[in-house]
Amino acid sequence: MELQEKITILSGAARYDASCASSGSNREGSAGGTGNTSQGGICHSWADDGRCISLLKILLSNDCRYDCAYCVNRSSSPVPRASFTAREVVDLTMEFYRRNYIEGLFLSSAVNVSPDHTMEAMVRVAEILRNEERFGGYIHLKIIPGSSPELVRRAGLAADRISVNIELPSSESLQRLAPQKKKEAILAPMKLIGAEAGASLVERRKSRKAPRFAPAGQSTQMIIGASPETDLQILRLSQGLYSRMNLKRVYYSAFVPVNSDNRLPVLSAPPLLREHRLYQADWLLRFYGFSAEEILSDDAPNLDESFDPKTAWALRHPEFFPVEVNRASYATLLRVPGIGVTSARRIIAARRFAPVTPEGMKKIGVVMKRAKYFITCSGRPFERVDHQPARLRQRLLLGDGSEAKLPRQLVLPGMG
Amino acid sequence: MNQYLYDGTPEGLVSAIASILDSGENPEEAHLAVRQDMLFEEGLFLRTDSAFAEALFERLRQRAPDAVQTLWYFMMAEADGLETSLLRYIALAFEHGDRVNGYLTHTSVKAIVGTARKAGRELHRMKGLMRFEQLRDGAWLARMEPDCNVMHPLARHFSRRLRAQEWFIFDARRRSAAHWDGHDLSFGTLEQFSRPELSLEERAVQQLWQTFFKTIAIPERKNPRLQQSNMPAKYWKYLTEKQGE
Repeated sequence: MELQEKITILSGAARYDASCASSGSNREGSAGGTGNTSQGGICHSWADDGRCISLLKILLSNDCRYDCAYCVNRSSSPVPRASFTAREVVDLTMEFYRRNYIEGLFLSSAVNVSPDHTMEAMVRVAEILRNEERFGGYIHLKIIPGSSPELVRRAGLAADRISVNIELPSSESLQRLAPQKKKEAILAPMKLIGAEAGASLVERRKSRKAPRFAPAGQSTQMIIGASPETDLQILRLSQGLYSRMNLKRVYYSAFVPVNSDNRLPVLSAPPLLREHRLYQADWLLRFYGFSAEEILSDDAPNLDESFDPKTAWALRHPEFFPVEVNRASYATLLRVPGIGVTSARRIIAARRFAPVTPEGMKKIGVVMKRAKYFITCSGRPFERVDHQPARLRQRLLLGDGSEAKLPRQLVLPGMG
Repeated sequence: MNQYLYDGTPEGLVSAIASILDSGENPEEAHLAVRQDMLFEEGLFLRTDSAFAEALFERLRQRAPDAVQTLWYFMMAEADGLETSLLRYIALAFEHGDRVNGYLTHTSVKAIVGTARKAGRELHRMKGLMRFEQLRDGAWLARMEPDCNVMHPLARHFSRRLRAQEWFIFDARRRSAAHWDGHDLSFGTLEQFSRPELSLEERAVQQLWQTFFKTIAIPERKNPRLQQSNMPAKYWKYLTEKQGE
């Protein structure tokens, strides 16, 4: 088979994995070697779907023995099958990297003979890159559930980031849609990775020469909308993964119906808005000090389509507002719709010099369109505003006539 | 409001700012611009003195290293008409030290920091969007036309990253070039530039990348507007994956 054709099949099969991050690792290049990594990550292109391309995202093989209902590569699907040799992936990575197309490699694979057989082949690609090609760029390896601890360890030593996909938000759904995958086989490597990464940090504190284990940490991804879980269930799961498993990122992938299967819902389009809202809520968990239970409740277990989750929270908590921007703490500022992490830090830096005025808020970059209903500047409200929740909802939704309403734009977060 | 003029060079700008600050003039009351040599032009012309400029830099480095960093990015942006803002920014940097960059509610600070950030953003962008092509003799060439003059930091980035290969970067807008020979980095200008011939396998690798670029997008999520807002069309000219569009 021609290399062109293999790339078509094996990148087409890999595109449903949402992760593209190349951040979190800071490796200097070795003399005579090729490549280094950049702490903040670098995007090299943006595909026709608007998502960033940072890594050569590819499957080693799409020849799968599993028959997961949601997956484009399931064994009963009539798609053409292909496999790369290790050398082919190594050469592609090096050729692309030398031309500055990519930050590195994201390698995943379908499972054919056994999890260990596939995992071993994937680890070998990474080891050839590191040892023979002296490649210092970014490597993200997918961990195949059920692979042996020894292979997971080797993967962590060769890669910057490793990830085990949790696939679906509950074990019931996993059992129904991916009966050959077991919850334990997913959680066991996750725990192992967390423990190994922690141990490596301790060792490196003693000696700079101790090997790094997955310096960019681990991430995971789940499919949204292929199974009946509520957003609250999903956010609770993510919250647990962040706090107990120490994950760097949880990715949400809107279900794209690629197979017809009577266990799957019939959708006219992938639930992109829901995915977008989940990412916003995920940001609130990680950077804004919110808990899943503050964002959603058992009475209202799904995210609002019309409002971002922070605005929705603010509308439910009129007693918290207005916030006085010249006195409020960082944590309080972060709760104001329209004020993000950057603007909250800037407000605190700027008010050391002089009280921040509404004009100053705009200079700082606060989204006043939303924030103006929730703040005062030195005791003065930004403008005469009706704080009745129902009226406020309406104004936020329709604008106050002074500006055109922005169309909904769905943005997949790139870095982090 | 007192009007001052300088010769339009970066060095002249810093030297003029040093003179004004040394004169005890209130920077919030002073105005600085490039001399146009027009008949009725008003203002005091400040002669460029490189020792003056050097001394100001050194004092600023001691007092506010972050502001020097900002200044460096600001110069990369090659922005016109912000001399007065720069004067006031530097005065504030001497007064407040590195905290000055937090004073975003001050119009001059906002203008300088904002302009510097624009250059920083483009530098970061170019680290991703530059494309090297392999030439017949085995060396590599990347061409670009960035808005800001990001050549120096960009070349340093690639001297750490692609250190095992010989390469050139050419800025077609400024006709400037960088060269890495595997050990050392050098800079220069090119009056004449003709694109050298590519290596025999270059087209084949470019086609592999174009194929990857097409198939990695999820067809059900096609979103050309989002693609363009992340990767403005002005950068497409030299992007391998955007050739022929």
